[in-house]
Amino acid sequence: MRSKLTLMLTPLLVLCMTFSFAQEKTISGNVSDQNGLPLPGVSIVVVGTSNGTQTDFDGNYAINASTGQVLRFTYVGQKTVNRTVGSSTTINVQMEDDAQALEEVVVVAYGSQTKEKIVQNVSIVGEEALENLVVTSPDQLLQGQAAGVNLTNTSGLLGANVNIQVRGVNTINAGSGPLFVVDGVVITDNDNTFARGGQVGSNPLTFLNPSDIASLTVLKDAGATAIYGTRGANGVVLITTKKGTVNTDATVTVNNFTQFTKVNDLFQGLTADEYRQFRTDVFNIQNGASVAPQALGLGAIGDPGTDFVDEISRTGFTQHVDVSVRGGSEKTTYFVSATYEDAESFAVGNDLTRAAVRVNLDTQANKWLKIGTNIGVTNTLLNTIGRENNTFAPFTSAFLTNPTFIPRDVDGNFLRSPNFIPNIAAVAELNTDRTENTRIIGSIFGEATLAPGLKFRSEFGVDRINSSSRLRSVEIVTAGGSANFFTVEDYLYRVTNSLSYAKTFGEKHNLNALVLQEFEERRRRTTQVSGTGFLSDDQLNVGAATTQIVDASNRSGSAIRGFLGRISYDYDSRYLLEVTGRTDESSRLGVDNNTGSFYSVAAGWTLSNEKFFDVDFIDFLTLRGSIGTAGNDRLGNFPALALFGTNQFGGLASANVTSPANTQLGFEQTRTIDVGIRSSFFNNRLNLNVSYYKRNTTDLLFNVPVPEQAGTATVSLNAGEIQNSGWELELSSTNFRSQDFEWTTSINLSTLDNELIDIVSNEIDNEGRKFIETGAQRAIEGESLSNFFLVRFNGINSQTGDAEWLDIDGNVTTTPNFNTDRVVAGSALPDLTGGFTNTFRYKNFDLSGVFNFSIGNQVLIDGLRFIDGFDAIGGTINVRRQNLNFWRNPGDQAFLPSPASPTANNANQRSTAQLLDGDYLRLKNLTLGYRLPQSFLEKTKFLSSVRVYATATNLWTIKGDDLDGIDPENNDTNDPLGLGESFFTAPQAITYLVGLNVQF
Amino acid sequence: MKHIIKIGSVLALALITWNCSEKIDDIVPENALSSDVIFSTFGTIEAATIGIYDGMQDGDFIGSPEMFQDYSSDNVNFVGSFTTLQDIRDFDANATNGSVAAMWFDVFDVIRDANNIIVNLPNVNQEDVSFTVSSDAANFETLRTQFLGEAHFSRALATFQGANVFAQPFQFSNGSSLGMPLVTEFFEGDISPFQNARTTLNETHAFIEQDLILAMNSLPETNDIRASSTAAKALLARLYLYREQWTDAATMANEVINTNGFSLAPDFTFYNNPSTEHIFRVINQANDDGFAGIDFDTFYNPTSNNGRGDMPFSQDLIDAFEAEPGDLRLDISIISVDAGNNDARFTSKYPNGATGESDPNVLRMGEVYLNRAEANFRGGTSIGDTPLNDVNAIRTRAGLAPLTTLTLDDILLERRKELCFEGHRRMDLLRNNLNLKPDNGAISAPGSDKVILPIPDDELNINPNAQQNPGY
Repeated sequence: MRSKLTLMLTPLLVLCMTFSFAQEKTISGNVSDQNGLPLPGVSIVVVGTSNGTQTDFDGNYAINASTGQVLRFTYVGQKTVNRTVGSSTTINVQMEDDAQALEEVVVVAYGSQTKEKIVQNVSIVGEEALENLVVTSPDQLLQGQAAGVNLTNTSGLLGANVNIQVRGVNTINAGSGPLFVVDGVVITDNDNTFARGGQVGSNPLTFLNPSDIASLTVLKDAGATAIYGTRGANGVVLITTKKGTVNTDATVTVNNFTQFTKVNDLFQGLTADEYRQFRTDVFNIQNGASVAPQALGLGAIGDPGTDFVDEISRTGFTQHVDVSVRGGSEKTTYFVSATYEDAESFAVGNDLTRAAVRVNLDTQANKWLKIGTNIGVTNTLLNTIGRENNTFAPFTSAFLTNPTFIPRDVDGNFLRSPNFIPNIAAVAELNTDRTENTRIIGSIFGEATLAPGLKFRSEFGVDRINSSSRLRSVEIVTAGGSANFFTVEDYLYRVTNSLSYAKTFGEKHNLNALVLQEFEERRRRTTQVSGTGFLSDDQLNVGAATTQIVDASNRSGSAIRGFLGRISYDYDSRYLLEVTGRTDESSRLGVDNNTGSFYSVAAGWTLSNEKFFDVDFIDFLTLRGSIGTAGNDRLGNFPALALFGTNQFGGLASANVTSPANTQLGFEQTRTIDVGIRSSFFNNRLNLNVSYYKRNTTDLLFNVPVPEQAGTATVSLNAGEIQNSGWELELSSTNFRSQDFEWTTSINLSTLDNELIDIVSNEIDNEGRKFIETGAQRAIEGESLSNFFLVRFNGINSQTGDAEWLDIDGNVTTTPNFNTDRVVAGSALPDLTGGFTNTFRYKNFDLSGVFNFSIGNQVLIDGLRFIDGFDAIGGTINVRRQNLNFWRNPGDQAFLPSPASPTANNANQRSTAQLLDGDYLRLKNLTLGYRLPQSFLEKTKFLSSVRVYATATNLWTIKGDDLDGIDPENNDTNDPLGLGESFFTAPQAITYLVGLNVQF
Repeated sequence: MKHIIKIGSVLALALITWNCSEKIDDIVPENALSSDVIFSTFGTIEAATIGIYDGMQDGDFIGSPEMFQDYSSDNVNFVGSFTTLQDIRDFDANATNGSVAAMWFDVFDVIRDANNIIVNLPNVNQEDVSFTVSSDAANFETLRTQFLGEAHFSRALATFQGANVFAQPFQFSNGSSLGMPLVTEFFEGDISPFQNARTTLNETHAFIEQDLILAMNSLPETNDIRASSTAAKALLARLYLYREQWTDAATMANEVINTNGFSLAPDFTFYNNPSTEHIFRVINQANDDGFAGIDFDTFYNPTSNNGRGDMPFSQDLIDAFEAEPGDLRLDISIISVDAGNNDARFTSKYPNGATGESDPNVLRMGEVYLNRAEANFRGGTSIGDTPLNDVNAIRTRAGLAPLTTLTLDDILLERRKELCFEGHRRMDLLRNNLNLKPDNGAISAPGSDKVILPIPDDELNINPNAQQNPGY
């Protein structure tokens, strides 16, 4: 790799050794804006040289240049001006406003819109923001980049899922993730593989190469999402891949990087000797004895031990190369790419290989017909490992395993674990957990121009996944061995036909109209077989097992038929109005109520386009607002039908009710009100967007308990209401700009206030409020949906050595009731989230840092109940180092109570002792790049851009002391009632990457 | 020409979408059966009928109630660690007790599947049903009647099971105290038919009687492992016995005894094996996933036989057997150690602790003989035979010498030894005004609030008409 780089660079350096000399003179002049006012800070360069200057406060400048050379005047928000030096020594320039920034086209649902005229509330992560950001999974492009989007990684493993919420949590039982749309194709986010502990599944976006992405648009308000009808309520993420442009020469880009991955902050467990001493001390105190570790079967101090975290972690090595060709002729544009990536994580047994190709092509076939296609085909091969509360999860069992256990015999062969926690080193090294996945996401379209402004477009899209997963546990881990094989064919297709019309009347009335019909069908077939009882580890397949079971063989599906329309109108770019309507019929809902209608009205007033508006420093100011609805139908495929499961009684086939019918079941409805401003100041150097939203979800799709006499536990109903509201702010600023140096900052902030307004529940608390409870959380009417409900831990009494808690009235007690003394003790939902990016450009160097943060949320690390305290699993597992500090003498500020205290075995009961402040600030991505100067490249007559870059991720994190060894980003379920909870999470990886991006 | 092509292609594409649109109705479940499908073929109608028995396999329907009746009386010494079961043993259960909640729920779980047939099957037109066997088509009306009979039998059994544990016995106040809510509808979204108040015990018993008479008149005398008219009669005999309708009880028991195909088995190998002894039992097989509740046979088995060792013989029961040596029924047991590691004796009426394959008896000939004997004795009749002969038939099979004279205590002792671990003891004591526990505490005396179970919170919370039992 390094030698290749040298080979490539050497001739370039040689080429640059040529210099030229010519007669120079001093040119001076004044630069003004289109109103004739002087422009300070305009940068002026002599093209092809490093010679440059800036205008002073009065707009004056002076520079040395030779006749025939070109002066280039550049300033933010102004069109660039080039002037050739002639005989005169004075060149005055009047610059013109560059409206291009506002004319930039943004991808929205079923079409596009200029930035100036957009009245929907969307967050855009555009090509500029993506250009220098190197990530290995596309969802990472959203983290800390878009207001209103809260992204939590579930772990640092390759292929691990992310939990994405757009503007809070809107639902209880139905799916809460946003809809992903790739180049117009709605994609599935089914989890097509085994559960491996936790309930988060695997990442649905691993198939996409981040360098193929041109932009991400997050649709947030009803004005933007209503058009997605039944699928829009949780927000929509539109992913657009790169396209060519007409009349552009081909650009070939070769992007190549190498990455090293190491594990981030982890728990510190006891070493073998510390463990022996700890267990022995505790035993002696509790039993008034004075025995040696040997007496407890722990071996002698000094005997060997094992660092299991070391056994299961490593430095991962990743190689990535992608090649793309992009360009266009007069009638045809193209973008073709190929990617190959071979990634290793810091966890032994976790690798991801991805090979992908993409073809995006469109052509003006004749005068009236345009046709095109966007197709991506990806093969991934993921080797993965267990996670969270699962004894086969390395980053769980390695913490728990007794460090005196030696995993190998003297010959290096693995030994079987003596207890129920398997030999985790053997699991990581020898077990197979492999998922092969082929995914095709693509569409073809034809667009006919029927009359000027009137177009008919027809599109066919498909998302097809073939996935097969294989688990094989070897003899040393599972007696007799075990194998599981799981295949999934997941198929989604979609047909749309639309008519669109665009016309300007009387110069100032601009009208766009769209009507569209859509049909979408999803089908999913699964087959799972398993077997146990293998004669040899060399027998890999279920067919060789002595006991074989067909666990599942199923096919299920759903379909949606929709009709929608949208009218966008503006008068003179001053008054903007957009109205959307959609009707959906869903196969998932009750026959009496399976059709839902959704609408939105969005309006804007661009004050800055009014004649009376005369504020110099404001370039653009628009007030906008919207109201409308969207829906959700994600409560399984047949929640409305009475279903009978088959079984047998004494060998006779039988069928009985497994779920009851509700023919009335309808959509979950979310109504959003959204108001805001969008603005640009100081010649577009400062952009500020602020919005406030209030979102009410009613008719929650909810599994509600029914009277016992019905003989059925729950029925799917539309009941209850949740409200989310918040402020969002997006600010971008060019803090400093000269020819050599530029500093830009972008910031986004989101607040969230969540309230459960109404639920259906039989459970009523002391204050007469209805609630639903799941484990450590309780959703109470009138409170936030995701509150932790726990007994308050009050620490260790330094005088008595007892653990203390607070009872429900706040009194200190050593004997709390772990049921009735629980109170609301925190929230899994942050008050404030966001990110900021600083980019510095000095000459050809660029440096950018992306930070993201979360404030005001708590995380519950349930695994602490096991690795803190004296007695978890009979006191046979390892503990954190903090546990060495148990109470011995009055005055001790101890972590654990006295081993002799009656509270000793309760100290690790579930309480706020495991609830930690989740606030953090993280340098998510730091990139340093260097572009070879244009003057060098021009001389090669071949290369158009060469960029060398280095990126580090998760390099630096600020978090509370309690989070030592714990990643603040963790989540082991996507269930809205279990957010912010984890058992043990494999932390986010620290990665170091160097790469080279060459274009020619 | 150009315009024709354009418009033509537009129409063609629109047509494709239109065709696709019809497919929305094609999306149907492919593993589970929807209610539309279940009544569309004979095979699925029959499966839905058999599905009622599937619900009975749940250990909280047949299993838990039997265990509870054993350990809240004097046959079993419950030494297990389940606190919900300990509370029941100690007459200290409350409305949040999970084991009680499961017993209540499973009564209605069985009634639900029965009501599916009772409510929906009469409305099925034969023309709408497809058949694969022509004789089924020819006999559809007979089979429909039979299926309805099975559903009525099952609903009666479930309601009776519930009344025995959640309501005071008939003797408490001549049946005027609270019985069960009576459910006759199948849930389809409207909850109001399922928020019934409880009826009196007399009304509950009348409902059960009506269902059983309907079943008796609809079902064949023998019906393999499914409910038969004989089973309906045997359950009626028990109902009448519990209600002290002595002549009715003796008459029904006598009809059962006189039915071809049913007779006392010659020995005790009938547990878990086919036999003329059985009238109705719940068959469990290792590959059934219907056995979802507590695997009651693990409680009755010692750890040496893959059980928990929670429910050994009480000393009182052992004493009762040993008072008359040579009783073969004491041999239906194994000596081992209990959950507390003490020497103990366990029943082997449910031998398959590991696999959950044991088949609990619901109705068998031994009980029917003893029902006839007790009813004749109390009523002063000899319908079918004398009480002495009936008791001696049972004693002879057990290897004991025949009695020459008979008292009510003799009959009850014989019932105890014959039917122990089969869920009869508690009701036999209560209806004969005998204390459930040998120590004669007030809490276990007939008439005590705590001899019956509380109505669970789950019912009280969502049913405004629900009524809790007094004392809870």
